[in-house]
Amino acid sequence: MQGDFYQLLKEQGYVLGIPGQSGVGQALITATTILAFKYRDGVLVAGDRRATAGNMVMYDRTDKVLEIDRQSVMAIAGVPATAYEMARVLEHSFKYYRRTQLQELSFEGKLRALSKLLKENVPAALAGTGAVAPIFAGYDAEQEAAKIYFYDILGAEFEGAEYAVSGSGSPTIRGILHYLNTWGEQPLSTMTEEQATVQALRLLTSAAEFDSATGGVNREAGLYPVVKLITSDGVRTMADPHLQSLFESNVSKGM
Amino acid sequence: MYEEPYRWVEAVGNRRQYLDEQFAKGSPVVGVACDQGILLITMSKGTPKLYEIYDRLALGGMGHPADLEKLRFTLLEMAHVEGFNRSASDVTGGRLVKYGVAPVVKQAFEEVFKAPFIVKIMLAELRQKAGKDGFLTINYDGVFEEKSLYAVLAATSSIEQRMTEYLRKQSISSLKEAVDIAIRTWAVGDRAQRQADEAKGDHEDAMENSDQPAADAQTLLAHVHQCMIDRSIECVLLDRQVAGTSKYRTLGTDELRALLPKDLSSAVT
Repeated sequence: MQGDFYQLLKEQGYVLGIPGQSGVGQALITATTILAFKYRDGVLVAGDRRATAGNMVMYDRTDKVLEIDRQSVMAIAGVPATAYEMARVLEHSFKYYRRTQLQELSFEGKLRALSKLLKENVPAALAGTGAVAPIFAGYDAEQEAAKIYFYDILGAEFEGAEYAVSGSGSPTIRGILHYLNTWGEQPLSTMTEEQATVQALRLLTSAAEFDSATGGVNREAGLYPVVKLITSDGVRTMADPHLQSLFESNVSKGM
Repeated sequence: MYEEPYRWVEAVGNRRQYLDEQFAKGSPVVGVACDQGILLITMSKGTPKLYEIYDRLALGGMGHPADLEKLRFTLLEMAHVEGFNRSASDVTGGRLVKYGVAPVVKQAFEEVFKAPFIVKIMLAELRQKAGKDGFLTINYDGVFEEKSLYAVLAATSSIEQRMTEYLRKQSISSLKEAVDIAIRTWAVGDRAQRQADEAKGDHEDAMENSDQPAADAQTLLAHVHQCMIDRSIECVLLDRQVAGTSKYRTLGTDELRALLPKDLSSAVT
């Protein structure tokens, strides 16, 4: 198939992840909180920055919201090694397609590419060594709309009409998102960029409150979640100083 | 019969003559480095001649479109597999050309039972620091050259020399200057090719080797204007100022209008 980078890699002997062995399944490691929701100008995607191994905090500066190309973002929950590898394959696949076919891969094509990678990864996911449950969000140029999709570890793809969450802290904030969107002062989709960012910071702080594997804001170390905004202009990362000012004026006040 | 060395040399000579003829009516390609990055310019009749290869690599070519496509895909495959397996920093023009494409082109040229690549290519490489940008050109016989600041492709080496001579006398810093000088250099090459083509036969050598001074800017721009009737200006930039890893972008109609000399900007459609 022309323009298929993953196929090209496979022809050269590449294998994604570690092949799993049946019957050695373990509890899935999805220690993290990632979220995405639609706001007035597009989609906001955010994630905490903690990486854990069992009870141990491995790293507090992980970037789980990865820019795959100028129009799309993949937020990762699950085994980081597999998730980063998938992001790397996707990034190269989209670039390769654009450069060989002289046109952007369609948004549906991008969704399908991630789905295929997850399906290939099923043995490792079931063995507990490579489960990934990502959120993929991007700007669909044909439909002129920013969209959110989330996946299970087997590669099934679901559209998050208003929002999507994943990771160990997600049960906490899923309920809050539903409440906010249904009975809050205003629906998420009408919020301004600033309002949406404040909500994202509050949601991740709530997740960190109840989930030890989710890192909240560490003001002393100047560590804030990663927040990316997807609009018709592409992907933009919210700068830390801006997050800090929004956190101090709208989040920490109530704590 | 080609087993005899003499026959083989003769066959390669014939092939060289055949290939030279194929480029006579091709559109030259000009690459120049400027403050903002590297600009590639040519004029084409629909089929593009300038392409993105990798984050900091752009390709320009002249010759048969199918052969250019073959080499473009070879470069794309090598660059992306290398960029994935190692890193983007390891994808360099030098490695792609010296260990990848040039040997393939040379082999095709010398295997007289097979078809050669009817193509000349230029690879522009935007490096991390301005002033370090580079170009690599590959001739149809696989001979490659490394250049800095500017590079050209044209039908013959003497026309390329004439274009390079013209470029050497210019000073380029801004993008606007780069566009202006690059399009004039293209005109130097295209005019020379046409003159050589018209003078084919008796005066060919005389025309190609003539030491006549390059035409003034007005004449060159008028030539481009004339060519714009049936061709369009194709212009891409490896833009140092673009955010993200991919630095390649095409200059759109509005931007070209703003950058081209006044006489030409109105003719851009």
